[in-house]
Amino acid sequence: MSADLLLHRIPEAVRTAAEAAGFRDGELLFSVRSDLDLQGGGAEVWTIVSPTLIASFVVSGESAGAVIGPHAFAQVEKVRARQKVGSSFLTLRIDGLYIEIARYSNTRREYFGRVAIFLQRRIEGKTLPDSYLEKPSELICPVCRLPLPGRGAGCPRCLRGRGIFVRTLGLMRAYWMSIIALLAMMLAGVGLDLIPPLLTRTLVDRVIQPRTHLDWLPIILLGLVGASAGRALLNIFIGRTSSIIGTRITRDLRERLQKKLLSLAVDYYNRNSVGSLMSRVLYDVDYFQSFVQQVAQGFLLNLMLVFGIGAMLFYMNWQLALLVLLPIPFVVIGTTFFWRNIYPRHYRVWDSQSKTAQLLSGLLSGIRLVKAFGQEQREEQRFSNAASYLQRSRRNLETSVATFNPIMGFIFGLGGLIIWWAGGKRVMEPNGITLGTLMAFFGYMGMFYGPVSALSMFSNWVTGFLSGGQRVFEVLDAQVGVTDRIEPARLPAPRGRIEFRNVTFGYDPYSPVLNNVSLTIEPGQFIGIVGKSGSGKTTLVNLLCRFYDVQEGQVLLDGVDVREIAQEDVHRSVGLVLQEPFLFRATIAENIAYGRPDASPEAIIAAARAANAHVFISRRPAGYDTRLGESGAGLSGGERQRISIARALLCDPRVLILDEATSSVDTESEQEIQRALARACKGRTTIAIAHRLSTLKNSDHIYVVDDGKITESGSHEALMELNGTYAKLVRIQTELTRLEV
Amino acid sequence: MNEAVNTSPAAPLFDDERLANLGIRWLIPAETAIFEGSFSLLHCQVQGDTLYRGVFAVLLFPVSHPNHLISLRYQDAKDKEQEIGVIRDLSQFQPDAQKLVRDNLRKHYYELTITRVFSVRHEFNLLFFDVETKTAGRREFVMPWRSDRTEDYGQNGKVLLDALDNRYLIPDVTALPANDRRVFTRFIYW
Repeated sequence: MSADLLLHRIPEAVRTAAEAAGFRDGELLFSVRSDLDLQGGGAEVWTIVSPTLIASFVVSGESAGAVIGPHAFAQVEKVRARQKVGSSFLTLRIDGLYIEIARYSNTRREYFGRVAIFLQRRIEGKTLPDSYLEKPSELICPVCRLPLPGRGAGCPRCLRGRGIFVRTLGLMRAYWMSIIALLAMMLAGVGLDLIPPLLTRTLVDRVIQPRTHLDWLPIILLGLVGASAGRALLNIFIGRTSSIIGTRITRDLRERLQKKLLSLAVDYYNRNSVGSLMSRVLYDVDYFQSFVQQVAQGFLLNLMLVFGIGAMLFYMNWQLALLVLLPIPFVVIGTTFFWRNIYPRHYRVWDSQSKTAQLLSGLLSGIRLVKAFGQEQREEQRFSNAASYLQRSRRNLETSVATFNPIMGFIFGLGGLIIWWAGGKRVMEPNGITLGTLMAFFGYMGMFYGPVSALSMFSNWVTGFLSGGQRVFEVLDAQVGVTDRIEPARLPAPRGRIEFRNVTFGYDPYSPVLNNVSLTIEPGQFIGIVGKSGSGKTTLVNLLCRFYDVQEGQVLLDGVDVREIAQEDVHRSVGLVLQEPFLFRATIAENIAYGRPDASPEAIIAAARAANAHVFISRRPAGYDTRLGESGAGLSGGERQRISIARALLCDPRVLILDEATSSVDTESEQEIQRALARACKGRTTIAIAHRLSTLKNSDHIYVVDDGKITESGSHEALMELNGTYAKLVRIQTELTRLEV
Repeated sequence: MNEAVNTSPAAPLFDDERLANLGIRWLIPAETAIFEGSFSLLHCQVQGDTLYRGVFAVLLFPVSHPNHLISLRYQDAKDKEQEIGVIRDLSQFQPDAQKLVRDNLRKHYYELTITRVFSVRHEFNLLFFDVETKTAGRREFVMPWRSDRTEDYGQNGKVLLDALDNRYLIPDVTALPANDRRVFTRFIYW
């Protein structure tokens, strides 16, 4: 149990005051702690609730010792958690007024939301169990207390604990043979890298300087060519193998991500922007290819080279080798410092590029609006600002790189000069080293600093890889949300009877959008749903399609809870026509047959005819084979909508949902669509959500939804007679139509 | 006369009369009584209108006009938020009415103002802030490193939204000490 919530117990900090106010241990429901007083000062405040009383007691802060309440629970009409800007209030409605009983920061919003629902249910006579209050947080990791990237998402810290590297190596398991071959080639490569300086030494010391063994010259040169050719050959194989493994892993991963994304509930897409998910599939996955490349050509290779070359340097002359090591600390410190500072600048360039692209894309797609309002100059200025930001970001990055690289070059150069000075002296000493050894030293030294510098940048790559890897695994580990039962019920031939039974649901579980909604729709009925934006109309449809699961109550299709039915059967039974029809970049025929790719051309034509789309399709030069542009470009709004109706009809669903299907088209197109729908709805249970109430006049039954509740229901005539919200809306629309005319 | 009307420059688009026709009512001191009523809640009585109980105030331009254009609202019997009217300039009201409205505004808005930024650490695509605030002392908070977690505040200010949607305000980033600004803009550079 959280220390912020005590069940059936008064907290010691406020015991005296609480007992004086009439609260007793054992008679309590719970005590809950908030972090603000009503004025917004930091304070420890306990709200104590018994079956008869509710009050808050301030422990610390400016108003320490204050008591808010107590209020008799019997007087409370409603309990609401009211969100303000940056904080919220737990409020009680008494005598038609909302009275604040506690204030809390957003840190405590989650469990105060539960407290509000718990108390509201109690007022409605439905008691929730204590466990409802004690549910673990969906926003904070219960293990390490780190905020989660989304409600119910995996914890990045704990996920990392399980090891992104280990999991990545797991992805490579399928390619272990290739990986071993890769490692072997790398080892051979390092061996080959060590040969040329040794041959150079022999060439200088045994051939050129003493002018003897001239016949060795071609052999040594052949050895140099052989080592160089061998290295080139190995590089080709290493590059190819790592590329094959890397691209396969990224392909596998992209497919797994796409499969996972398709399986995730719609709710997941509300929490994560399409852009961020695309970026994970398209770009973050590339980190995994770079992982393979790092293993093959980066970290491991550089590590082997540093050790191999280092050993060789010490083997040849340990005193000179120590001098070679002199610039290393400067290189490591310099590189680390540089990357720590340069790393965010890369993000800034990325950010400025993406902002410029967004601006340009918005500008081009809204070009008609810009021209219509004569805002070209303003847009020029806005783009100029974005372009300047991009320029500054790039300049910042590139000037840093341009400064860093020559400095590093200078430090490396100093290393060379030290060896020239010390090595040159040793060459000239009687018992010193040979010129060949010095030459070989220079050869190795050139090869030595590169890997050292690369290794010092490794932590930077690791940071990027871990954050990219974490974002990818976060999607793979996401809870699917809406799942099928192990043995789901099947509905091979649904009749189309729909029932919402006491349904309560909220996208944020603590702010219900639908409150205890019940309605029944008989097979073949045409039902209209009316209400203001945000009243909960589309939520009803979302639940029927099982894009979400209810939090309380049931949605039944033919008497079976949709959660029990295989999702495949639910989706086959329910056809959906949305306000903004979405068409794919494909032919008209492919778009119509999207839900039934095996449909015959005759079936496609029949569906198009039923949707009043056949005539305009057949007028096109390529008929049903007309290839559509992005989002159905090339078709009018009404034509796109009729294609989407044909698409729904081809699946022959028992239930047809029209969610504002004619809202965004002109009157003529609307009439065409209405004619199509009149034909399409025959024999099907149809649920039509519409703002234009004239389209619902002939409905068998109309439901008015307001603030998550059914407030009126009946036929058009009955509702007009009732003279309530529906009648008012009809009158407003009639008036508007009269004015338009 | 009609001729003159047709050729004269267009009338101001949003003069008081037109706004009134659009349903916007200006609350002026001569016609508006603001006082504390039952349960210490804000009450408002407008001449010729009903008494509104449980009123709350909302700033329509919280950044650019924090002392002007304040909407007074209430919750109707159906729990719907309704506007009583808009105060154009609060300073025209009696001091006690001004205090009541300001106290009420303090209830509506809760932001911790940052005065120093000691460190910002990046890990797990989250930013770990260690800051000094004006009213709550030294605080640490965690914020996802995404541009949608910050809001512009005026010309140079920023509001940071932590992982749980708590709000942290830096009214003017350029007014931060140089090192704090460097630490901050290293990650929040947009």
